[in-house]
Amino acid sequence: MTMKRSVHTAGLGLVLGLGLVPVAGEAMAQSCTQKIGAVLPISVDWGRPIAETAKFVVEQVNSVGGVAGCNIELVLRDDQTDPKVGVDAAKALVDIDQVPVLLGSVSSGVSMPILTSVTVPGKVMQMSCCSSSTAFTKLAEQGKTDGLWFRTFATSRVQAAVGAMVARDKGYKSVAILYKNDDWGQDIGKIVAANLEKLGIKVTAQVALNDAQPSYRAEVAEALAGQPEAVYLALYPTEGTAAVREWLSLGGTQNMIMANSLKSDDFRKNVGIEYLGNAVGTDTSSPRTPSAEAFVKRYVEKFGGQPNGPGLANSYDATMIALLAMQAAGKDAKGPQIAAMVAKVTDPKGTPVTADAAGFAEATKILAGGGTVLYQGATGNVKFDANGDVSAPAVVWSFTNEGTKEDTYIPLEEVDAFVASMK
Amino acid sequence: MIQSLADGILVGAVLSLGAIGLTMVMHMLRFANFAHAELLTIGAYAALVFDRVFQGVNATLGAKLAPLTLTGSLVVAMAIAMAITGASAVLIDRFVFRRVREKGGELSMVFASFGVALIVRNVIGLIFGLHTELYSKGIAFAVVVSRDPLLLIKPDQVFVLAATLVIMLVLHLVLSRTTLGYALRAVAENPSLAQVNGIPLKRMIVLIWVIGGGLAATAGIFYGLTNHLSPVMGRDLVLPIFAAAIVGGIGSIYGAALGGMIVGIASSLALLILPSGYSPSVPFLIILAVLLVRPNGLFGEVRA
Repeated sequence: MTMKRSVHTAGLGLVLGLGLVPVAGEAMAQSCTQKIGAVLPISVDWGRPIAETAKFVVEQVNSVGGVAGCNIELVLRDDQTDPKVGVDAAKALVDIDQVPVLLGSVSSGVSMPILTSVTVPGKVMQMSCCSSSTAFTKLAEQGKTDGLWFRTFATSRVQAAVGAMVARDKGYKSVAILYKNDDWGQDIGKIVAANLEKLGIKVTAQVALNDAQPSYRAEVAEALAGQPEAVYLALYPTEGTAAVREWLSLGGTQNMIMANSLKSDDFRKNVGIEYLGNAVGTDTSSPRTPSAEAFVKRYVEKFGGQPNGPGLANSYDATMIALLAMQAAGKDAKGPQIAAMVAKVTDPKGTPVTADAAGFAEATKILAGGGTVLYQGATGNVKFDANGDVSAPAVVWSFTNEGTKEDTYIPLEEVDAFVASMK
Repeated sequence: MIQSLADGILVGAVLSLGAIGLTMVMHMLRFANFAHAELLTIGAYAALVFDRVFQGVNATLGAKLAPLTLTGSLVVAMAIAMAITGASAVLIDRFVFRRVREKGGELSMVFASFGVALIVRNVIGLIFGLHTELYSKGIAFAVVVSRDPLLLIKPDQVFVLAATLVIMLVLHLVLSRTTLGYALRAVAENPSLAQVNGIPLKRMIVLIWVIGGGLAATAGIFYGLTNHLSPVMGRDLVLPIFAAAIVGGIGSIYGAALGGMIVGIASSLALLILPSGYSPSVPFLIILAVLLVRPNGLFGEVRA
């Protein structure tokens, strides 16, 4: 007896010590607890708010009675944006905590090994707030995700499509592409090239730039050789600055199309605003809908600041949709059953529900009555395609003397129609 | 093709200058100093600070010496930066390398140099921030030398090439024609024997660091002038510079100069054959190729 109790106490101490305290519901005491897992880079400055947002959702859901009569306990683990750490964390959550749903991660490089080596073999639903690589789409197309994979972040396809759209609207006839030689850069560079060619715009060169090269002169000279009318830049500010200065000094065009990664003050200052007059950037955006504004209001009330960090609205929706799907699947449902319910809670023909405690309670009633719901979330009406991908509205921006300004807002329908026409 | 060749020579000039300092230190102090490239960073940032100071004191100094982006203030700052970098090199030797030299082996020196490189890089990052800095924000436009075949050259790079050649010539004359040069070479050949002949070893070591540091500072400033400054520029440059020194043969100034050009040209021409993204592998391929044919480098001598 004493033995048993001390083990129990030790276990409790361990749980407290690791900070894995269940997010307690205040309104109703529940007789049971259902765990869900999250693997997020909470040791990174921008990762912490993403996790806090997920916790906020769990709190709200618990305040209206939790899921299927059980209190939800979010077991949160850090991945340090390191695939090895992330996989270990996910393994522990799936094998030891037996979670049916795993939220995460942010970096595609972490989410991917978790998906292929932990959640798919373990038959656990994985919902990521922030991974954008199209490698997931390919995996899903090959049927290797078993329908267990979802993400609330638009793929690189959206930005690449808008980049090509800008080139078309500006009337450029030939474009050279400079891309960062990593997963993200190769991905977006390849898609932009395909889109441009589809639009009948000549791609004169696709040049990869490595990190930490002492000089980009040779690469830039290669891109210049085709004498393009414009240049597409899928680069980060460090190599972007070096390459663009070299590009301009060798007489390259000032017609530039930039990915969102160059939305940087360092880049603007070091290249010089006088050379960036014809440079336009692309980015994905939150929709201009009442549900997105409601999220911002709720977030400010809770945390006392604007949700400016990356992936916050996406994390909110990922968590809420996962919980709604669990609610639809009922008590003790397993990963595949829950994943199958995602369509039921994001049904365009369903009854619209808001993304808060009241909305969750309403959804509970509708689902219990056999109906379907349309979740109106922080990123708008979330709609997953067959591969678990979502789309997003986009913005076109440009540099000003002080920073950046938004030039045009491209609504979701227009983005989707354009992406579809590129296939 | 012509453009790639010209680019390679112009980029190679900076590598040559860095490699000359490295090869001297490596030959005379007998260890591979992986912290050498950090001396370039120290020099470049020291010049940045004094360039800004002089421009603040006297605005006319900030005027560009057309067609270069080089300013009068930067020229003066360069002299001070060379002195500061030389002094830093001596201090690093005094506090780290000398102690390791007395107690540890050659390998300990190499590890110590890695440690020094990390410390210098991060201290500079702490002071100046990790972002890119520039001596002059304006973009130096390339001059069209010929339309067909297309050849574009930046005036700054021609200046760097010319200055490098002059520095190499001066160094050669000092080493081959002066008593000081003989003393330095004697230390390199055999430190004990040189000491027996009345050459003050400690003073010679200080001198080697001052010269090596000064050359590194010049290379760093020239790199900053034609590219940009960042706390990790040493890390980015260390491999090409080592490749240049090894290809040229350790201890050979002309070898290092030629090695720099070879690495520069090869990286530039490589893009004609290799897909972009593979160019960082070129310096290693050159090291392999040269060492297979000439194990001591192009100009290196067998040393007992």
